[in-house]
Amino acid sequence: MKRCALVFLFAMMAAGIVTAQTLEVLWMGWPKDQVMQLVNDFQAQNPGIKIDIQLIPFGQLFQTIEVRLAAGGGTPDVYIVDGPNTASYAARNYLLPLDEYFTAAEKNAFFKSSIRAGTYEGKFVSVPYGTSSAGLFFNKEIFEKYGVPLPSEKLEDRLTWEQVAELAKKLTIDTDKDGKPDIWGLGIEQIDRPYLLLPLMQSLGAEAISPSGFETKGYITSDKFVKATTFYGKLFNEWKVSPTGLNDSAIAREYFGTGKFAMMLGNEWNIARLAKFTNLKYGLAPFPYFAGGVPVTPTGSWHVGVNPKSANKKAAVQFVKFITGKEEVIKWYKLNGIAPARPDVYAALPGDFSNPMWQLFISEMNSTAVTRPDTPGYSQYELILREAFASISYGADPKKTLEDASARIDRELKKYK
Amino acid sequence: MFKSNKTAWLFVSPALAFLLIFKIWPIGVSFFESFMQTSFSGKRSFVGMENYSYLFLHDPTFWNSVKVTFVFSLLVNPITLFVSLTMALLLNEKHFFTKFFRTVFFLPTAISFSVVAVIFAVVLDPYNGLANSFLKLAGMNSQPFFGSANQSLWCVILLCVWRSAGYWMMYFLAGLQGIPQTIYEAAEMDGANGLHKLFRLTLPLLTRTTSFVLVSNTAFNFLMFAPVYIITQGGPRGSTNLLMYESYTSAFVIADMGRASTITSILLIVIMTFSFLELRLTKAKFEY
Amino acid sequence: MKKSKGVKNGTLFVVLSAISAFFIIPLAWILSSSLRPAGSLYQYANPLTWRTFFPSAITLENYRKIFVDLLFGRALANSLIVSFATVILSVLVSSMAGFALAKFKFRGKNIVFAIVLITFMVPFESIVIPLYVLVRSMRLDNSFAALIVPGVGNGLAIFLFKQFFEEVPNELLEAARMDAASWLRIYAQILLPVCMPAIATVVVMTFMFQWNSLFWPLVATHSSAFEVVQVAIATNRVTEDTSWANLFSSAIAGSAPPVILFFFLQKYFIKGISGTGITG
Repeated sequence: MKRCALVFLFAMMAAGIVTAQTLEVLWMGWPKDQVMQLVNDFQAQNPGIKIDIQLIPFGQLFQTIEVRLAAGGGTPDVYIVDGPNTASYAARNYLLPLDEYFTAAEKNAFFKSSIRAGTYEGKFVSVPYGTSSAGLFFNKEIFEKYGVPLPSEKLEDRLTWEQVAELAKKLTIDTDKDGKPDIWGLGIEQIDRPYLLLPLMQSLGAEAISPSGFETKGYITSDKFVKATTFYGKLFNEWKVSPTGLNDSAIAREYFGTGKFAMMLGNEWNIARLAKFTNLKYGLAPFPYFAGGVPVTPTGSWHVGVNPKSANKKAAVQFVKFITGKEEVIKWYKLNGIAPARPDVYAALPGDFSNPMWQLFISEMNSTAVTRPDTPGYSQYELILREAFASISYGADPKKTLEDASARIDRELKKYK
Repeated sequence: MFKSNKTAWLFVSPALAFLLIFKIWPIGVSFFESFMQTSFSGKRSFVGMENYSYLFLHDPTFWNSVKVTFVFSLLVNPITLFVSLTMALLLNEKHFFTKFFRTVFFLPTAISFSVVAVIFAVVLDPYNGLANSFLKLAGMNSQPFFGSANQSLWCVILLCVWRSAGYWMMYFLAGLQGIPQTIYEAAEMDGANGLHKLFRLTLPLLTRTTSFVLVSNTAFNFLMFAPVYIITQGGPRGSTNLLMYESYTSAFVIADMGRASTITSILLIVIMTFSFLELRLTKAKFEY
Repeated sequence: MKKSKGVKNGTLFVVLSAISAFFIIPLAWILSSSLRPAGSLYQYANPLTWRTFFPSAITLENYRKIFVDLLFGRALANSLIVSFATVILSVLVSSMAGFALAKFKFRGKNIVFAIVLITFMVPFESIVIPLYVLVRSMRLDNSFAALIVPGVGNGLAIFLFKQFFEEVPNELLEAARMDAASWLRIYAQILLPVCMPAIATVVVMTFMFQWNSLFWPLVATHSSAFEVVQVAIATNRVTEDTSWANLFSSAIAGSAPPVILFFFLQKYFIKGISGTGITG
């Protein structure tokens, strides 16, 4: 009898029923009470797997990921990946190729641009968790108060940047007559980030980086790139319709929400985030483009990756599929408001997404969205270009600044080819 | 001084063990990293002094950072020293309000630099911040603060002084306790006045504390980067681009460990040099 | 005589109040913002009204939210455990080492002192990866030990104790030696009691160092059971938004324990309690 019991026990263990695994997940510092709802769902449906999730504040997220992965070892098993960093992680073998775990149907459940962003050298390595889009939010009351007709919220009436500049000039107003504007015509939510600004240059036909992904000379130094950047600089320094020195997107949103910006170029998450400003009456116009150019919108957001050194690959992939699956993404959208990377979520929540603002974003994601440059050197590129944009907003000469930045970026990228 | 190898080593070993294992070993590893370069695919190779020569010969951002860091250091250290010492001297006597004010001055230290940076970004907002509201009340123009290449570094200095003055004040208070009251009484009998007591007695007797504060504060400030990381990102136009911030972004944003380690190795040599000079300068001269 | 002393004290009080305004004003604004219902960030900053510092409707909702929904209490408890454990161990080993450096001539002394100095001249960020690898190889990661042990060796504390112990007259120690006291007894019963300000200072120094650490706890531990106070505060800033009300309330709540500690250690910083040759 005893021997039978023992054999049975061994058989059970072999079947994996008795053993419990623990998955270490390194996640973004979203609010605990929201994230735990998803984690508890997973644990309820997968009793053999326990999730040990770590929520890291945004300011330390990439740094912690770098340290953990550089130290080697199988920790974490699953981690959150900022879309454009996919190439850099994949190049250093920090991401497990997932082609064998995902069927074609499963991959097709995501936006094509998101799948592209999660692919490196032909291998699918990071699973899209969210995506993004951006547009021109505007404060209806300010427009009405100063007698300026409201911009159209329709895709086909997309404003040109030249028109936006004119509107901004009319709506930069010094209400208390102290010589300084109290209402600014145009605020830019992420004031100097390539994410939000590259579409301007790309709208004029400039390219962000060489096809190889390792050279910027001739690309960010091209006449078209410089021209678009010069326009950007004029917003701050010549027409003075945008305020310098607001580096934090949360602060920019405060300004818009309390009526200090007439317009704000900002992300889709504002639909959820502006709700707390109960007195705000706002509209959303499509992301502007340059006259004679093409409309271009930014896109891309978080992905999820698996550590190739993980000792629990199967469980890890299970978790990844779960958290990026339709049900949990619906739940996460309802808790957090970020744009899902799966069309079926939009279809499943017609109540939310039939809102014209969401419809606008969805159309953009399907037609004008351009993902960020695909290069393992994305973080170098972004850091240096961002500094360049910041300097230009403070009055530096666009052409010279971009040439210096290009030289720096190319030097950095060359060192590591 | 007592002479005894065995006793001294017995007393020193536990701390030394902790230091060697958890500080010196990683420092050594990091120092060697400055002679390596990592490619995009993660391949590491030995490159000798190339990281150093690149910084010194081909990298204008490095030299700008050196300049900014030295300006920062030469301003923030004396200012902090002066403010914290003054506060300690003012609060050395026992009154009913002493404990209260000492705690008030200490309050900023209880908040981490990162959070202080967020607070200052909001308080010194160029258009709607608390600071500008006060200035407007006083009839002055609102200032760009962190939004101006001229003011930004000064605001970083202000932030550092605000946050650390109370902390260093604590060390001076502790040091002041070691000065016997009898010395002052004797001097008063000789007709010494307040300033004389201060400069001829108190300050010289505080030399050991002063040298401690000077050396540690210098080191802290050379390694400062949190306000830059959170508020200014080195700007506007490089005016707050401290060396440690360069090192930090190299390590964690660009994953260029070689460059990061090179900068911190250079910083170490700079800090050691300054400390050596400071220790020489404040060699305790007064025995009583 | 008495009257001028009163005037002198009065002037002192006014001067101190003026200086404290500089320190208090930003904190007062944060405090009052944390007691307001979560609203717009600049609502009361511009323009300035009396409401800026005295909210018309006080609410503890922001504190309730962080303690109940976000488990801030656990973060406080973890940080208290880690900080106090580090304080006890660090004060012990650092004072011993400071004693040796202050009062003894021994072979290798200069090297030891150089090591002590170097350890605080190198930023934590540059050693975090090798330190993490080391701690992991010792199987210490994801434990309180991972947070405590690397913080015990503190060059700054050793340096401070050295400076303070140097002030103690050798005669005091020689007298004890003549009474055939062992060095351990001299250290414990003569030296330490006389240097309470130094000990109080190192207690605060070590406590603050652990209390304010953010990056190392994130790297060295990953279970939410070990979340420390600075992580809890910092998580209020996410990519898409900053929860200002929660950030302010957690900053205030997170600063309370160090301030309380400092306040109660004040008696060691008051003249007349300790120090050599001090009369009442």
